[in-house]
Amino acid sequence: MSDKYPESSGRRRFVKGVVGSAAVAGVGTASIAAVDAITNPTGAGGGSTQYFGVENTAGPAPRAMPMVPLETDEEGYLRGVYPEIKEEEQAGQTVQVAREELGGITYEIDWFQYCGVQEYQGLQPSYDGDNYFRYTGGSTYDWQPSSGRMHVDDFDDYESWANDYGEAGIGKPAKGTWRSQDTDNNIPVQIIRSSVLEDKIAEESGEAIDWLEAATEDGFMAILNKCTHFCCAPSGFRSSNYGGAGDKIYCQCHQSIYDPYSIVKRRFVAFPRPEDG
Amino acid sequence: MTDDNSDDTARTDGTGIVPPDDETPTWRERKERTTGLSRLTYEYFERSRREDQDLREESDYVERDVLAFPVWPHELIRNLALTSFFVGMIFFLSATLPPHLGAPANPSQTPAVILPDWYLYWSFGLLKLGPLNPDLAIIGGDKLLADRTYGVLANVVVVGFIAIVPFLNKGSARRPVEQPFWAAIGVMGVVFAVFISALSIKNLVPMDPHLLFDLTFLVPPLAGGMAYAILKTMREGYMYDLNRRYYKLRPPK
Repeated sequence: MSDKYPESSGRRRFVKGVVGSAAVAGVGTASIAAVDAITNPTGAGGGSTQYFGVENTAGPAPRAMPMVPLETDEEGYLRGVYPEIKEEEQAGQTVQVAREELGGITYEIDWFQYCGVQEYQGLQPSYDGDNYFRYTGGSTYDWQPSSGRMHVDDFDDYESWANDYGEAGIGKPAKGTWRSQDTDNNIPVQIIRSSVLEDKIAEESGEAIDWLEAATEDGFMAILNKCTHFCCAPSGFRSSNYGGAGDKIYCQCHQSIYDPYSIVKRRFVAFPRPEDG
Repeated sequence: MTDDNSDDTARTDGTGIVPPDDETPTWRERKERTTGLSRLTYEYFERSRREDQDLREESDYVERDVLAFPVWPHELIRNLALTSFFVGMIFFLSATLPPHLGAPANPSQTPAVILPDWYLYWSFGLLKLGPLNPDLAIIGGDKLLADRTYGVLANVVVVGFIAIVPFLNKGSARRPVEQPFWAAIGVMGVVFAVFISALSIKNLVPMDPHLLFDLTFLVPPLAGGMAYAILKTMREGYMYDLNRRYYKLRPPK
């Protein structure tokens, strides 16, 4: 026994007990609050969802980039399809759910709820704008205007269009936004018009082709331009020759490559949307 | 120092070796009876040891009147002056050079070239070691670790190795020729850093990425081996010159 320390006394044990139990109670309360905050669902939607996307063929990206179904209006302007908004009872509350059957799969807005896109105002059912695709400035492609709605006529030369990458005529790409007017963040999309896609739909069959028939029109396809790896906006279709990416979609951050003509079904866990977005 | 032992005041000029016959040989005599490098080296070390001993013996550390300066005012005044100078420089620079505050990052648009700062390329390159991550047959051809986990662990290995080098090599060598092996390890590390940095920007390097990947792991050991061979060859001549020069400059009396 060292005599440096005071004798153990009843009073001392009492003080130790009080301090110790207070500390334990504090830690317990804090961890319960933390677990509560982490596990409490604070938004709408989210969870496991199955989607069609463009296959990741090289690089570190974990899965395909989801497609956005599109259609053309009577005047020839391109617009994306937002799933039908329904009211649903969930856990005693009425919530808005954006979900519909399309091309043999349940198309829901959860497909795009990753990489922070789940917080964009444009993804909310309450977004008060239209669904038209609009060009953006600063694009990889010289040909496209920097603003305005996308029109079918802009892609007339899609069977012969060429740039420095890939073979001529495999498709004409553009970059733009969807549901992003007067919002803080733009939802980036990639539009491609290609005869390869038209031929694929005409010649092949299968569930991916069923989906393509419903989600594409006149050889047009739209992809949410958000890399599934670390959330970059890829430089796009025919934007680099690195690693055979000349005829594919290339992400400049970590050299992920997606093949827009290989449509695959994938599953991932989507983030919930914040409810008061 | 006290006065009573002034006759024995240690000499620090390295001339404390006393030959048995009380006659220090001249430089010429010494040179005539030399037996080459081994003799020279022995004398060199003997002189050094003697000098050290003399210095230790005459140390006046304990007897000094002034051990240090007081914190106040000497140290604090000096420190305040230095602090004021650097704070003033910060104010001056921030006033003269307007800060660059770019627009906030736009998550919907990524620049065409996006890279970490150049001095982190080596670490960025270590994240791209996916091809070294083996597909293990025992778990059905899957990888035990995801490529990204593997890359982070590679960083831990490299930083860990650099951290333990001082514990592995406790030599007092100050020139590469004195320790060819560790010098070669150093050369290997530097060359590896250069190549792994190039690998991290493989999409911008005008070279086949697979070739670059192979070179990253083949060139550094090669460079290390060459450095070892060269240093080992140089060593004897170099040390001989070093000893001789030291000896010549300060010949014994």
